[in-house]
Amino acid sequence: MNNLQSIQYFLPELLIVQLALSIIILDLLSLKRWVNICVYIGLGCSALLLCQLSSPIDGFHIFNGMLINDSFSYYFKWIILISTASIIVISNYSKELDREYSVEFNAMILFVLLGMFLMTNSIDLLMIYLSIELVSIPSYVLAGILKNDKKSNEASLKYVIFGSFASGLMLFGLSWLYGISGSTNIYDIYNSLALVESPYMIYISLMLILVGFGYKISMAPLHYWTPDVYEGSPTVVTAFFSVAPKAAGFAILIRTFSILFTDANSLSVNTFPIHNVNWSLVVAVLSAITMSIGNLLALKQDNVKRMLAYSTISHVGFMLMAFSTTSVEGNIGIMFYLAMYMFMNLSAFFMVIHVENNFNVKNIEDWSGIGYKSPVLSIFMVLSLVSLAGLPPTSGFVGKVYLFRTLFATEQFYWLGIVAILNSVISLYYYFKIVKSMYFSEKVIEEKENIQAPVYTLIVLFSAQNILFYMYWSDLYNYIKGLF
Amino acid sequence: MYNDYIPVVVFTALAIGLLAAPLVIQHLVSPRHNKRNDKLMSYECGEVPEGSAWVKFNVRFYIIALVFIIFDVEVVFLFPWAAVYQSFIAQGQGLLVLFEMLMFVIILTVGFAYVWVKGDLDWVKMQLKYAHGRYSKLGVDKK
Repeated sequence: MNNLQSIQYFLPELLIVQLALSIIILDLLSLKRWVNICVYIGLGCSALLLCQLSSPIDGFHIFNGMLINDSFSYYFKWIILISTASIIVISNYSKELDREYSVEFNAMILFVLLGMFLMTNSIDLLMIYLSIELVSIPSYVLAGILKNDKKSNEASLKYVIFGSFASGLMLFGLSWLYGISGSTNIYDIYNSLALVESPYMIYISLMLILVGFGYKISMAPLHYWTPDVYEGSPTVVTAFFSVAPKAAGFAILIRTFSILFTDANSLSVNTFPIHNVNWSLVVAVLSAITMSIGNLLALKQDNVKRMLAYSTISHVGFMLMAFSTTSVEGNIGIMFYLAMYMFMNLSAFFMVIHVENNFNVKNIEDWSGIGYKSPVLSIFMVLSLVSLAGLPPTSGFVGKVYLFRTLFATEQFYWLGIVAILNSVISLYYYFKIVKSMYFSEKVIEEKENIQAPVYTLIVLFSAQNILFYMYWSDLYNYIKGLF
Repeated sequence: MYNDYIPVVVFTALAIGLLAAPLVIQHLVSPRHNKRNDKLMSYECGEVPEGSAWVKFNVRFYIIALVFIIFDVEVVFLFPWAAVYQSFIAQGQGLLVLFEMLMFVIILTVGFAYVWVKGDLDWVKMQLKYAHGRYSKLGVDKK
């Protein structure tokens, strides 16, 4: 449908644009105290608008074939919105961020939110590139928002250089697809790809596009930016990067590859890679490498943020394991795992923010004695770490079970399952290094701990999901299954 | 089928050749005695140069160039719109098309207002009323 009729389906994104512009204007009129209230009200309204957009899986195209509106993108939008809202709430309570630039910070996060919404929706080559850049460029600014901190500047510079390079390669792959087909809509490109005789043309474009998407989700061998950027950015920004752009990156990866490079040209059918291009094996090998790199390199880390960055890489490896089977169970498993992952990762990072606010910590050894100083929050942190490692009575375990189940349901890549199990076992060590230093040391901390209610509430709330989803995961799983 | 690519091959060969050939020829032909010691010093009207040629680059040049390129791209987007605007008026959709472009220009105007109020356009940065600390720690004369 054309532009005017599509606006009614685009209202959450329009509201986010207007919100970002209005908070910039409010700052210029020196009405800075209204900015927080505006952001909360605006995000609440966009959540309400989002509620009206649920659609069946074979959704409809809006804006003349640029975006698609279906339940797959609807689910991802909720994950992204919840994680971004919690980051915006907690950014007011972080001591690292500069209060003077809080409005610019909020505006940048809202622009990234808009880009991520568009990423989940895109079905046109130009829209894919535009949304990825709309996510990337404010992220470069967000990584370097501490202007006087050397590590932050380094993180931002590395992110810019890596990101531009990966985007350039992805553009080359996208242009290759345009050259084959003459159209930028991925449904039309699929029809042209079916007529291509030589598989190498599809291979080249596929590999290059995989570079671009893989960069966003930190797939090996494109993960090199992740530890440095995560360590240098302020922790609030790191928490944001580790969840929301990954979810959006997976959405666009699943959608683009399922529609372009599989036989069935749709998301809701078990399918195989397009004629003789066996890219699922490539993704499986890359997933094994990603998992192993993430886990093995996390073993030696001293800095908590760097270790959590490597753990993010390993979780992406697990999700790619389910993606490599190109099946509906795989997509359901990834969507389910992203919801679990959001809660456990965000609660771990919020605890890191809380500890950094109150105690002078730089390494894992500096976390000594925190288990006794703030007992309640430490229990929830242990819960999140156990969930990240994938041990039984937590939601991380359920998520991992569904990722493994995909391999057995489609009877492919059993060797990948063995690699994944070994990696899960290895990951226990570096998660429990934090637990060890929190509880098993004799240090008594004298500093006063200043507990702020929203930080406390968010940590408890998100971490409690680990147990709650262990008991009630079937509701969420059946909901996701019903989306397809 | 491959005959269509002959112009590309010729073009590439010419590009590489026209670049490489002068370099090779000058290396073979140029005299050797000009490439030592005093001949390679930078020329300063007969004086002996001292110190480093690098100066501290003032970042305000970069800021102005950055702001320029953003609004230059905006103008580039305005040109084709202006070219086809008349035909849209003839079809009766003039108001809608104007409104679409107005939205685009308004978003960029918010950016312009931001750059202006925060003092990024001033050549000499003074203490500003609404910049909330952007250039407030400079210690220059208040206006």
